[in-house]
Amino acid sequence: MQLTGLDRFLWATGFCCNPLLLLVLFRRDRARSFPIFTTFIAFIFVKTVVLYFIYRFLPGDDYISASRFFLIADEILQFLVLFEIALHVFRPTGVWARDVWKTFAGTACVSVVVALPMAWLAVPSTATPARAIYVRGVFLCAVLMSELFVGMLALSATEGLPWKTHVARIAQGLGAYSIVCVVTDSISNYLGNEPHVFAVLASLRTTASLVCEGYWIAMLWQEAPAPRELPESMLTQIYALQRQVADDLTRIRDWRRS
Amino acid sequence: MRDLYFAGLAVLFLATLTGVALHYFLRARRSAGTTLEGLLKQLIWIDRDKIEAIAMDAVAESGEPRPDDNAFSLDSSAIWSLLGGLEGLEALEKNCRVLVDLAAYLQRWHPEALVVAEQLRLNAREIEWHVGRLKGAAQTGNLQSSFGDYAQRAVVTYYFMTRRLLELYDRSGFAGIAELQSAL
Repeated sequence: MQLTGLDRFLWATGFCCNPLLLLVLFRRDRARSFPIFTTFIAFIFVKTVVLYFIYRFLPGDDYISASRFFLIADEILQFLVLFEIALHVFRPTGVWARDVWKTFAGTACVSVVVALPMAWLAVPSTATPARAIYVRGVFLCAVLMSELFVGMLALSATEGLPWKTHVARIAQGLGAYSIVCVVTDSISNYLGNEPHVFAVLASLRTTASLVCEGYWIAMLWQEAPAPRELPESMLTQIYALQRQVADDLTRIRDWRRS
Repeated sequence: MRDLYFAGLAVLFLATLTGVALHYFLRARRSAGTTLEGLLKQLIWIDRDKIEAIAMDAVAESGEPRPDDNAFSLDSSAIWSLLGGLEGLEALEKNCRVLVDLAAYLQRWHPEALVVAEQLRLNAREIEWHVGRLKGAAQTGNLQSSFGDYAQRAVVTYYFMTRRLLELYDRSGFAGIAELQSAL
């Protein structure tokens, strides 16, 4: 396997971006709020280093096996990051919003139902059935990720649950990247395993991930807009209001039209 | 042939996904940039006396169900008429949407009021749910049977929620209280 100048450049850029993003996450204390996302970025960094050494010092087959292993772990971590985002958005008071959990689970089920036939229809031109299953699996994950991202966006807008600044930025980056992955994987499945096409699509995917990381570095470095302070008296009144409304609602739910 | 089906489905999928994502992204952005005054301006005027009449037919001032024999004296057609028909229901629904956005505003800018904002959001969503059921029943011609179950309950919830909200704003000396009062 030969690397072009562009491949080397992308690899080197990724090698610089990952530690920089990690630095931002720890320096700005975002790692505490987003432990899974931080783990994901640390994983990408480790992956870049390990794959580089495997490429340089071990046979080509080892590189392919290792890159497949890392890609599977990468997909799993991406789902976990999405779940972490869901925890931030749909649990505003620390527990799942009462009206959201079922809809969220329903969205996930619909996403699977839509993604499965797409992955089944894909006809990857691969040498072995095992490789075909692998390619389909990767495509399935990309479709699912993009669906879940859009589903979460729609659900939060409908339910009136706002995205806090950094959660929104992480989700936007991941969502945009997953849509690019669906595009590249669809083209790859349609056009087959032409080496030239494969190389262009792989570069496109890597470029998208680097743009995404650049966006995260810039956005996570900035502080979120400061909350607007409420006077102490107003706060006390708000808590009184909450208790009154909760009592009202309990009574209303209990009454029956005679 | 299968390749073509796949290509068609992929294009359709991507177009739908991008369209939906863009729609909700822009909606979230608009909502994030709204001010409190801007939100309150979106409220639609509702005849509060009529809302109160429907609510007080079912419950007492305290919120407890009325124990007397005169409770629930309004029949479905009287409630429907007081509400202003489907138009009145839609106004109620739109105001609830504004209240949901108001809750989102509180959650975004005043994290210390998170609990009450979440309660407000849940209440507004509950009324939206009742109103949605009524609209659905009106469209399928089953309004008569569903009305008793949902309409009065929605109005009572709306009445108490907005009353509490008005009390809060009144006590806080909010400048737009008169506008808010006339709309809710």
